[in-house]
Amino acid sequence: MSVKTSTLPKRYHEAVLKWKEVFLPDYDFLMENWDKHFPNDPEFQLCAYRELGMCTEIECGDLKGKPKAQKPSDMLPEQAHHLFGAIRAQASTEFGSIQQHRLTLARAQEEEEQFWILRMMAEELRHGYQMLHLLVEDDWSSVSKESASDVFEDILSMTTGSHLLGAFNIDFDSFVDNVVFCALIDRVGKYQLAMQKISAYQPMAESMPQMLREEAFHLAAGVVPMRRWVMGAARGETFVTMEVLQKAINKWLPRGLEMFGDERGGGTNVRLGLKPMKNSEAQRQYYDEVAKLVRDLNLRYLRARVADLTHAGSEAAFDRILAGETVEGVRREDLLHIPHMDFFRRRGVPSFRMVGDQGETFATVPEYLQHLVCTLPESYRASRDYKEYVQALTEVQEGRMTAEQAAGKMPALRRVAGACPCSKSVRWMVDEPSLIPAVTAESQPAVGQPVA
Amino acid sequence: MTDTTETAAGIRIRPLDELDISDIVAIDEAISGRYRPEVWERRISYYLRRAPESSVVAEVDGKVAGFMLGEVRSGEFGLEEPTGWIEVLGVDPRQQGKALGRRMAEAILEYFREQGAHSVRTLVDEQREDLRSFFESLGFEPSGLRPFAKRL
Repeated sequence: MSVKTSTLPKRYHEAVLKWKEVFLPDYDFLMENWDKHFPNDPEFQLCAYRELGMCTEIECGDLKGKPKAQKPSDMLPEQAHHLFGAIRAQASTEFGSIQQHRLTLARAQEEEEQFWILRMMAEELRHGYQMLHLLVEDDWSSVSKESASDVFEDILSMTTGSHLLGAFNIDFDSFVDNVVFCALIDRVGKYQLAMQKISAYQPMAESMPQMLREEAFHLAAGVVPMRRWVMGAARGETFVTMEVLQKAINKWLPRGLEMFGDERGGGTNVRLGLKPMKNSEAQRQYYDEVAKLVRDLNLRYLRARVADLTHAGSEAAFDRILAGETVEGVRREDLLHIPHMDFFRRRGVPSFRMVGDQGETFATVPEYLQHLVCTLPESYRASRDYKEYVQALTEVQEGRMTAEQAAGKMPALRRVAGACPCSKSVRWMVDEPSLIPAVTAESQPAVGQPVA
Repeated sequence: MTDTTETAAGIRIRPLDELDISDIVAIDEAISGRYRPEVWERRISYYLRRAPESSVVAEVDGKVAGFMLGEVRSGEFGLEEPTGWIEVLGVDPRQQGKALGRRMAEAILEYFREQGAHSVRTLVDEQREDLRSFFESLGFEPSGLRPFAKRL
């Protein structure tokens, strides 16, 4: 197994460096302190990695067994179109997550955790670079009217609010968001990268292994601080309580589920050999993984809260608590739970259905909003994102709009002028109703593809 | 959603991930009698950061029953060539006898080879006859590199 490294042509490489100066100003600080926090780890390099020696035949779908495409023109037009959208969306998420993380990075309580997130941001920059490399290296003119430089500029000019996927358009409110985002949203990223490892486009498949290696640590950078926080909460520390963590999970999990795309879609990607699983299958596996994370956190909490509990004892106690008992003063509501899959959804099958975090349903908008007051972070409820959700929900429930229309009507920042990555060239825009494309099971995944 | 190897009915070997922390803590507790979540949180973060594929877990019927942590390093103790190091392993006492250690070692050694390592090393407490015979059964031999220690 060997890895080939390469860099973007000079002018593109320098544009990424310029973007880094604006959105990742702590990069140099990270490099200066690299050996202190990551002793003996290889030095970080801003480049694209390609793993050589991978499978050269298409691994699923109608073309299974045929040679993988080496360049866009080798692909069917439909294949190339889908893949181009996926690469572009993925690039957007990588740069988008850095813009989110930087807002609250300085609020970390522990230096170690802060450096973990900072390293993760640098690696997300590399992931974005990797995707740009795919877009710039080859000729995509058969599927895009935009030139490579226009696509490049478009991606680098996006800011929080103008990215292609919802999870990357939500501002962070505290360092809890940095951590929970890593544990939940980067986990979607892991799925997307793992699925794309079999891509019928060889350069895409070869780009995935190194990204997946880096993503493994990004998940740890979320899960380990969460484990430490629940231990602290169990001991009575009030820095990050179970309630704060629960609300952060409630905020991010619905967006993570939506990143897989519409539950009815994904078949086209499988047929075209771009991914091995349909959206609903991958989404279900993801949800089960988060359920395991939540269970592990609860067991960690119990062991810290109740002295002399054994491993088996903690599992038994946990089951009793779930059944409604109070064990050693611990009640079910003291623990974390995974929100229902249909909770607070704005895309996909359950969008705008008013399902509560426990799966209960609500008959009226005011009742549901009252439920959201109790289940979502206060700071998030003061955001533009939440306000627009409430407005769309109200219109859907009053019959003035369908859920599909509402999903397309959620506001997004759009680039309205200029291309400089650091310009203020984006504005809040809402699609005119006549411009809202019909959302179908197969069309929605085009915006619901990737991932950080 | 990870690369796995099904080595026998109900037994899977796959790369380590961050959700294995709880299971590894439990296995360590079953072996050592000590509950040390902080130790394993830090340690597993280290291996995931360095090279997640160079450490593996064994699953029996979907539950983690063993782990083996290691990595390829160069320049340690004057060994310039890339060398695989197996640093920690553990198997749930209730799952012993299923050759989980051997299956994990085969997976990890294959990965070390792919990484260009020509040799693999480990350190075994002389009192642990079980570990010594385990590694000997895998073809490990006493090395010319002798451990020295001094109490401080």
